[in-house]
Amino acid sequence: MSETTEKTVEQIENPASYVELKGINKHFKDFHATKDANISISKGKLVALLGPSGSGKTTILRMIAGLEHPDSGEIWIDGKLVNNIPGSERGIGFVFQSYALFRYMNVYDNIAFGLRIKKVPEKDIKKRVTELLELISCEGLEKRYPSQLSGGQRQRVAFARALAPNPHILLLDEPFAAVDAKVRLELRTWLKEMITKLQITSIFVTHDQDEAIEVADEIIVTNQGRVEQIGTPQELYSNPASPFVATFIGNSIQVKNFDRFRFFEKPEEDVTAILRPEFVSVYKKGEKVQYSKSVEEAVVEDIIFRGSNLEIKVRLHDNLISSVRSINEPAIEIGETVDVFIFRLFVIFKDRIELFYNRSLNNETVII
Amino acid sequence: MDIRKDKGVLKWVLIVICFVFLSVFLLLPLVYIIATAFRAGIQGYIKAVTDEYALKATWLTIRATLWAVGINTFFGISAAWCLTKFAFKGKKLLSTFIDLPVTVSPIIAGLIYVLTFGRQGPLYGFLDSHGIQIIFAVPGIVLATIFVTFPFISRELIPVLTAQGTDEEEAAALMGARTFTIFRKVTFPHIKWALLYGIVLCTARAMGEFGAVSVLSGHLRGKTNTLPLYIELLYQGYDFTGAFAASSILVIMAVIILILRLVIEQKGKKEIDINR
Ligand SMILES: Nc1ncnc2c1ncn2[C@@H]1O[C@H](COP(=O)(O)OP(=O)(O)OP(=O)(O)O)[C@@H](O)[C@H]1O
Ligand SMILES: [Mg+2]
Repeated sequence: MSETTEKTVEQIENPASYVELKGINKHFKDFHATKDANISISKGKLVALLGPSGSGKTTILRMIAGLEHPDSGEIWIDGKLVNNIPGSERGIGFVFQSYALFRYMNVYDNIAFGLRIKKVPEKDIKKRVTELLELISCEGLEKRYPSQLSGGQRQRVAFARALAPNPHILLLDEPFAAVDAKVRLELRTWLKEMITKLQITSIFVTHDQDEAIEVADEIIVTNQGRVEQIGTPQELYSNPASPFVATFIGNSIQVKNFDRFRFFEKPEEDVTAILRPEFVSVYKKGEKVQYSKSVEEAVVEDIIFRGSNLEIKVRLHDNLISSVRSINEPAIEIGETVDVFIFRLFVIFKDRIELFYNRSLNNETVII
Repeated sequence: MDIRKDKGVLKWVLIVICFVFLSVFLLLPLVYIIATAFRAGIQGYIKAVTDEYALKATWLTIRATLWAVGINTFFGISAAWCLTKFAFKGKKLLSTFIDLPVTVSPIIAGLIYVLTFGRQGPLYGFLDSHGIQIIFAVPGIVLATIFVTFPFISRELIPVLTAQGTDEEEAAALMGARTFTIFRKVTFPHIKWALLYGIVLCTARAMGEFGAVSVLSGHLRGKTNTLPLYIELLYQGYDFTGAFAASSILVIMAVIILILRLVIEQKGKKEIDINR
């Protein structure tokens, strides 16, 4: 009786969340692998679990799947407390990091496995498998064994196998880790299209921020067993909730003596600033610029060709600062003295992160 | 290339040594067994082989082997499965215990059972009152055979199961497959050839076991004599034709096992190549 009431309360409390983790803790012997994780994911979203190696991404995914059990906390799926419900009854499809295809079964039997367990009639199985093979563009491969497939094909078969029993949630552990860079890019786009088309709530693990930013609607950033922040890529980018997120997302460097930069001042003793390449502009001497009165001089130490643009590294008050410059602008050489303008930077306080703007932006009438 | 040319002589010397060695220590004795077995002519051989006690000993050997292989197959799969797929306390200890029979002398294995189940043993009273006789009876022989052969199957399976990992089983479990289905459909194909190979090794060892069985059997002719014990008995009684004829039965059984082993190795290798 009381349990049903609780459930209803839960649904009213947070109607938007389809998958919810509340105060989850997990230990492996003495090792605290997940620390008080609170996660809420809405229906139909494609969410990335992003964090460095060993930060507990796989552990969280496995707990949602029921392959691992939390020491404390609650896992809710579709308004049901699932802590004591076995993984196979949670409506989950799981794509393993190494795919875990059944090596002694051919592609057809792999995809059909989950349906056969459910005692679906062979006729319907055939229909579903054919449909899925078409979806993953692997028609004609049904007789092959996993070892006779390319990495990309294996990945897609694993995807089809997970989808076959029509799960409500799809969990993918580093789905692109085992394929090479080019195929990875293709698969990324493909997967995003697939998941958007199927409208299935999906969580995928990655430690590649580009992948997360490109593919996910929302990103959950983990670090040392903690959930650091949950938000859209834009939110993480412009409003990092913790120093870790500020440094992990984007290509950033830390600056201690930023009070020496022109038009910036340091409020307290012990704060550090984070500077991203997009916060900095580098101009050739004599180039006509809007902030010509506010720039300061620096020497170019390195230039890296990044395909569509150049990364220019300059030495400014003992800091090696990166900036991005279009290849269409006048060329700059190593050793050249250039003008540098810093628009803004993140300042990390003990309890918060603040965005500091170049004070001259207030004085000069400019639009960024 | 150069290295091979230099070692051309060495290669031939080594090959000759191997052949001479095998001829002297293996082939010659085998030929001698056959020759001696037939010394009294075909009739004598047939008579010796179809001797009532010889047949009984053969039958007992086969029975003990079947029991030991059956039980060890079950035990070996269970042990290998739990050692590779689960984490638990005492795992190291269990793993070490499995190897014990390889390191302990078979005689000692026999004596352990005599002490446990014999008149002075703690279980004797209970067993006796229920009319169960273990030592100097067939159960004792089976026990001894199981003891000396029990690492063979699990030791073949453990490396295969370790290499496979637990991913495939977890994937199957998440799709709702029950443990037995997972074993049958997912795990078993991986271990099939290793298991057969382990069974062959176990069979070969079980058929030839002498030491532990000798302690436990009590040498009751026609009752508790296995083939190796029977051969020993005939030999001690200077019945060379009989001893060697009985030996030839054991040799034929061994050759069958050897051929099986070869076939399994070939087939298994082919299938593994496909699934690399
Ligand atoms: N079964 C286990 N036993 C003991 N420790 C474990 C186990 N599984 C994970 N850990 C530990 O928990 C921590 C988090 O592991 P997890 O696999 O979740 O990391 P991850 O973020 O997925 O890393 P990666 O990106 O390298 O896959 C690691 O330090 C790992 O060593
Ligand atoms: Mg992982």
